[in-house]
Amino acid sequence: MVDALHEVHRVLAPRGLLVDARPDSRVLAHVERRTARGFQQFGTIRTASIEMGNDRASDATIARVVRDGLFRRTRPRRFWHRVPFDSLPEVRRYLSEHLRFAKRADWTVDAATRRRYADEPFVIRRAVRYELLTKI
Amino acid sequence: MSTDGRVFGKRVPALSSRLRPTAEVELGHWGGPRLVRGKRVLDLGCGDGRLALGVAPLAKEVTGMDPDAELIADAVGRAREAGLRNAHFEVGAGQSLPFSDGAFEVVILSWTL
Repeated sequence: MVDALHEVHRVLAPRGLLVDARPDSRVLAHVERRTARGFQQFGTIRTASIEMGNDRASDATIARVVRDGLFRRTRPRRFWHRVPFDSLPEVRRYLSEHLRFAKRADWTVDAATRRRYADEPFVIRRAVRYELLTKI
Repeated sequence: MSTDGRVFGKRVPALSSRLRPTAEVELGHWGGPRLVRGKRVLDLGCGDGRLALGVAPLAKEVTGMDPDAELIADAVGRAREAGLRNAHFEVGAGQSLPFSDGAFEVVILSWTL
């Protein structure tokens, strides 16, 4: 990854901008039921441990090229992104296929509540972290 | 922090770019159209061109690069359908970029590192 960032530095014009944006594993993702008034929390989702390791490696790579004097960084920021699903079983199916997340949510509502609303629309709300780096 | 719900999910492959924020949403958070307007932009790890094709109407020129030839073919087709003549796509990896020094004002690594 460091090699790729050296290449990015090379192809950037003086004071050019590098945008690094990726899912933010520092915070949990959330399973929410869509309601008439907004969203109801149903559970949280952890990032898979292998992906946490990948994220830490990416962070270390950015830190290294900044330390090496290739880029000047700005304060990282975060935004939240909602992915809609038709039902709770669709959420479960997605989690079973998706590599980034743990295979199961940690529910904050009881099983009866999950069954009651299973066929209603749900979302997974996940964080995206981004940072702008200026070529030095 | 802010929240948006303008992306379309449902049952699609887990790695599909359809589960990611739209180019408009992502660009909006990064600083808006001024970030890329009139600039030469490289989208490294562009996948099916989700972001590059969203940036193209604003940028002077956009180049998307990804190691997956199928995704690049998809991006090329979508650019052609959209009539975006300033969007170019190439198969390749970040470790060896076939571009001259200082070729771009902006490089984007969106869900790539």
